Amino acid sequence: MATDQQTGTWYGTGEAVSRVRGQAFKTLCLSATLLALLSVFVLLLYVANDAFQPLSADTGWLLVTIGTVVVPSLAAVGYYYTRDTRAGETATIALGLPIVSLLLTGGVFITFEHVVSVYQWLSILVSLAVAGGIVYAHSRVRTEADLERLVVVVAVPALALWFIPKLILSLPMLPTQSIALLGSFVVPVAVVVGLFVRRQRENDRDGVIAAVLTLVGAAAGFGVAPVVGITPFVWMLLVTVTAVPVSLYVESVIRRGAGVSGLAFPLIVVGGIVASAVLTDTLGFAGPTPWLDWGFLTNVPSRTPEDAGFYPPLVGSVMMLLIIIISAFPVGVGAALYLEEYAPQRGRWGRLVDLIEVNIGNLAGVPSVVYGVLGLALFIRAGGLGSGTALVGGFTVGLLILPIVIISSQEAISAVPDSMRQASYGMGATKWQTTRNVVLPEALPGIMTGNILAMGRAIGETAPLLIIGAPAVVRIAPNSFTNKFSAMPRQIYTWSGEIDAAFRHGVLAAGVVTLLVVLLLMNGAAILIRNKYQRRE
Amino acid sequence: MTDTQMDRSGRSFSRRKFLAATGAVGAAAIAGCTENTGNGGNERVVVTGSSTVFPVSDRLAEEFMEQNDGISVTTDSTGTGGGFNNNFCPGDSDINGASRPIKDAEVQDCSDSGVDPIEFQVGKDAVTMAVHNDSPIDCVTYDELAQIWSEGGAETWSDVNSDWPDEEIVRFGPPSTSGTFDWFNTNVIGDAGSHVTQYEKTENDNELVQGISSTQNAIGYFGYAYYRENQDALKALEIRETEDDECTAPSIDAAQSGAYPMARPLYIYVNKEALQQDAVYDFVEFYINQSSTDVISDVGYVPVSEEQAQSNLDKLESEAN
Repeated sequence: MATDQQTGTWYGTGEAVSRVRGQAFKTLCLSATLLALLSVFVLLLYVANDAFQPLSADTGWLLVTIGTVVVPSLAAVGYYYTRDTRAGETATIALGLPIVSLLLTGGVFITFEHVVSVYQWLSILVSLAVAGGIVYAHSRVRTEADLERLVVVVAVPALALWFIPKLILSLPMLPTQSIALLGSFVVPVAVVVGLFVRRQRENDRDGVIAAVLTLVGAAAGFGVAPVVGITPFVWMLLVTVTAVPVSLYVESVIRRGAGVSGLAFPLIVVGGIVASAVLTDTLGFAGPTPWLDWGFLTNVPSRTPEDAGFYPPLVGSVMMLLIIIISAFPVGVGAALYLEEYAPQRGRWGRLVDLIEVNIGNLAGVPSVVYGVLGLALFIRAGGLGSGTALVGGFTVGLLILPIVIISSQEAISAVPDSMRQASYGMGATKWQTTRNVVLPEALPGIMTGNILAMGRAIGETAPLLIIGAPAVVRIAPNSFTNKFSAMPRQIYTWSGEIDAAFRHGVLAAGVVTLLVVLLLMNGAAILIRNKYQRRE
Repeated sequence: MTDTQMDRSGRSFSRRKFLAATGAVGAAAIAGCTENTGNGGNERVVVTGSSTVFPVSDRLAEEFMEQNDGISVTTDSTGTGGGFNNNFCPGDSDINGASRPIKDAEVQDCSDSGVDPIEFQVGKDAVTMAVHNDSPIDCVTYDELAQIWSEGGAETWSDVNSDWPDEEIVRFGPPSTSGTFDWFNTNVIGDAGSHVTQYEKTENDNELVQGISSTQNAIGYFGYAYYRENQDALKALEIRETEDDECTAPSIDAAQSGAYPMARPLYIYVNKEALQQDAVYDFVEFYINQSSTDVISDVGYVPVSEEQAQSNLDKLESEAN
């Protein structure tokens, strides 16, 4: 027998060398991991230190802050980690959700301020509602005319979007913008909240209560907002985009009754910050003078480092992302659907499709600067669009992330089990019905995750923006897609070339931290969506 | 925090009203139509060009925008040649900063696309030749500089002057799209040689400063403003045109008096057609008015004389009509 030839011993026993080799390899891998993590961590620490300058504060301030914020938070984290992991999960979300919603509120504010005015939004909603009504009526009156319905479904919304906004915006009298926001933004959000709660609790009354509460909370802004010193407009955004998701989450935690103690964590953190602010103020300790503060986020770039701000590039980045979302994502997801669901798999055409797929993979690796040159030639020189505009920036960076969008969407679609498709066919569904009702809903979370990660890539791209002529300094936030714009990484690059060292160390670091926070939040959102999806399976 | 917000929404209210008026076009664009919305309401001035002139343009843009609400002046640092070729001559920018006069080829290029550049001198710069702080060298002549920076010239410092160390020369400089490069190539190296092509090149002058200050046998050149900000990190060489001249260190005064040989004029070039727009005209007028004041010397350059500013203004007025 074979084992006899081995004289009955296992290979490797008695040979200390093989264990050493294994251990050495393990250590090598470990040190590679540590080196990678450590270098990134040190870099982040360095940048954060430059941006916040904690050491410029009084020692007393630091001690008080450590005592009121850091120690209680760490104690709470320790408790959650060792005693109650479920509450730890709740604590993470309970702290993260308000921050994310606040940032989202900022994004919505910027969108209404610079991209789509409330009146435009209102008129778009009205046109869509009218179009929906006509399409519905048509489907009732002419139940059999399928081809005609297709024409109606495409043409009516397009015509409605073309004519109705003009009509509405040319009206001599429009409601104040707060009332317009109430009607066009708060009411739809309230309806969605109501439907959501109704589905969660399977109770009509609760859904109505939730919707009414949202509406009343937002409308209360007309009376309360001036008292607390903000406009009703901001109040309504805060209620609908920040307060609603947070209270829905709190409600769901309490209803499920698991990990409720985690809800205390944000209170500990916020309470600590407030206590520290009050204490340091009464004791007269001076806090740090961070580069990254509220003024940095709301000011415009300046030659004076202390006045320099990040607002126009922030708006520019938001506008660029909007262009990417409405241009690159539909194209990318459409291409992925075709390649996965419809494209021929075998024969000559199948080989051609294989070739195309390989090349899409290659395109994902093409340096971003090449896409910049492509965008310059295609959109500016040949297409006649203005150089350095948000439109061109969005298109160019959209092209850049298109291969990533296609590949990640393809993966999400191919991860849908074939058995589900077969089951759908078995029930007599057509290919189109299967794709629409089975494949797409099932693949959507995966597609979303991939797209958000692609957006993360897009928001950090600098080289294409340099090539398409996004200017070094933009001091008025663009309020049209055809204005010259700047994006966050472009502005950071400008600061890196400034003569004054305060720009290169302080202001630049503040910009980098802002960009990193936005990036981390986007990636965090992608991970959350993925986890939720995986858990459901 | 709340104050800022109040402020913002208060200010933006009229803008939103304006948007509502012009909103039909915008909504159409959002609906996926390709209608061009033009400038979207903002009057705008686009400045590109030399990284040397950029700090001046940017600062003046900021001051101009403080006085003129609603005009957006965007500034960019593309290098003199880069700005002419990629932005100004194709008609993408209204004003191009330049640290050398425009070349004939560029005038041709511009006129081919219907752009007529008008030149205004807005200051003077002392091109600074800097070495590492520990370098034993203090003063160089044009001839020695030409040896150091010509293709096929010196490889070690001792090749140039036997008193200097027998170490290889490490060169840092601007790329060939830069006006500083062109000026140096024409005026110091001259027709006899051509600028060396193997050296560390970057349009970012801070990287030049960084590179020279951290490399023992380095030499490099850039605008005076960047040297003035980094005086401790670098040593600026004194310059004399020939052996017989005085060694002169770079400074604003020396450049103004003409004692420093490597002083060069700085220009802005304006698209004649763009002067018909009030925003561009006003900004150029503001620029010229400020070019004889301390604003220029604050940045680190030499202001032009009152007379020159006045003649520039006359030129502006006659060109615009």
